[in-house]
Amino acid sequence: MEQTKVVKPETLNDLIKVLHQIFSSDTVNVEEVQNLMESYESKPQEWKAYAKFDKFRYTRNLVDEGNGKFNLIILCWGEGHGSSIHDHTDSHCFMKLLQGQLKETLFEWPDNKMNGGMTKKSERILHENQCAYINDSIGLHRVENVSHTEPAVSLHLYSPQFDHCNTFDQSTGHRNTVKMTFWSKYGEKIQETTVSKENN
Amino acid sequence: MDGYEGLEGEKVLNLSRLNLDNLDLEHVGEERKRDTQQLLLVYNRFIMLPGSICHFSNLVFLDISCNRLAFICEDILRLSKLKTLVAKNNRLDEFSLPKDFGTMSLEVVNFSGNRFEEFPSEFLNLQRLQSLSLGGNRLKTIPAEIEHLTSLELLYLGGNSITSIPPELANLPYLSYLVLCDNRIQSIPPQLAQMRSLRSLSLHNNLLTYLPREILSLFQLQELSLRGNPLVVRFVKDMTYDPPSLLELAGRTVKSRNLPYKPEDLPGNLVRYLDLASKCPNPKCGGVYFDSCVRHIKFVDFCGKYRLPLMHYLCSPECSSPCSSNPQSDADSEDENSVPAHRMQKVLLG
Repeated sequence: MEQTKVVKPETLNDLIKVLHQIFSSDTVNVEEVQNLMESYESKPQEWKAYAKFDKFRYTRNLVDEGNGKFNLIILCWGEGHGSSIHDHTDSHCFMKLLQGQLKETLFEWPDNKMNGGMTKKSERILHENQCAYINDSIGLHRVENVSHTEPAVSLHLYSPQFDHCNTFDQSTGHRNTVKMTFWSKYGEKIQETTVSKENN
Repeated sequence: MDGYEGLEGEKVLNLSRLNLDNLDLEHVGEERKRDTQQLLLVYNRFIMLPGSICHFSNLVFLDISCNRLAFICEDILRLSKLKTLVAKNNRLDEFSLPKDFGTMSLEVVNFSGNRFEEFPSEFLNLQRLQSLSLGGNRLKTIPAEIEHLTSLELLYLGGNSITSIPPELANLPYLSYLVLCDNRIQSIPPQLAQMRSLRSLSLHNNLLTYLPREILSLFQLQELSLRGNPLVVRFVKDMTYDPPSLLELAGRTVKSRNLPYKPEDLPGNLVRYLDLASKCPNPKCGGVYFDSCVRHIKFVDFCGKYRLPLMHYLCSPECSSPCSSNPQSDADSEDENSVPAHRMQKVLLG
């Protein structure tokens, strides 16, 4: 049985290096990745270049493509910005707070009956440096920056990579497939005019 | 007290997190005072905006968030080039601002996380204001005079106690981002549908049970949040209908038959009353109504994603709703021509 290495990445680049090593194998040890991401202490100078905000909605900024094994993305949430309820297309999803706080609300998958809206399982506030994990077997979630004064920044790792997911209407459970787009890649803003139709 | 160049080459003086309660500029050279364009005083212990601040004559950006500010002195008026003022998380209220604050050329003001209970009247004169945030305060209303802020593009009022929206808000010609989430709003004025500039509208966590049907014309809207509102999901068949008064019936007859009248023919109050006639939204009905109307919740797909309850006013229960909705929607079969006159009860609006 392999020993879980205790490695504390000092910098974001260290974290990325270790992630490349971990994901070079075919199996993912969820606890190992979660602990690793949690142990990186966020230093804004190291990720500022990726943290590009939009005034209208949250943004997704690609940091690293993990040799095709994962996507490492920084999400920037202005005050009041939130996502719709969504799934994760059979992938692992790790979410670490780099700045500010985010509220995560977990939902059950909608069933055919659907009385009174989708069922909320739980909700919690994630604080700076905490790392959450979710996959489709755990359920669906909505992530929001509920602060009216502070923006939030989070670091997400998705493995395998995916660019479509389903969004769900809370009151009816109706689902829609949505293409996920990047606001920037490797610190450079993407000059597209497509809009992610993620109303909620 | 190191300064450095900001991203756009602006000269920044960063005095954040230094436990300051006064701003002693003895050790700041004259040239430095003249050159500094951004001043950061975040996370200190200021109770008042320090008067010495006016020595930074070319200041463009000031952030004094996370202090204990209860008062902003008149000296700020001397910062004639100040464009951005950020003072989040302080103790400011509507009595904290100097009288002539409205004469400043401010473009961005962020006073979120303070103690404003009323919209400060001094703000209403800021003609150049493009971005205003009063999130996380204690506002109960938005003044109609908000329409004076003709340059406004962003208005953030989330996290207050606002109960209604003045229709005058729709007169802001450039407003593209409107945040009203986490308030106590019960209805949206239909005039908001005239806002062609509106790109993002945040209404989540309020007390909305329906939306005005005019909202359908906001087709240029790209973000809309409605979650956490008690929107009526099931169509309530039963509606009550208060029979119209004789005045109303007479007025309807005059209007729908185009009976000619001159202002000299009638007492002034009746002329004004006739001017208030509203057209029934049913295009097949030429009728009008005054006070007496039947409310009718109609479910319509919107942006291809929602089933929103929309509010129609009809001149009588016999009028059916004209809204072009998805013919397959099951809400349709419930309401078209289906409500018999003898079964009228008030529409339950949550």
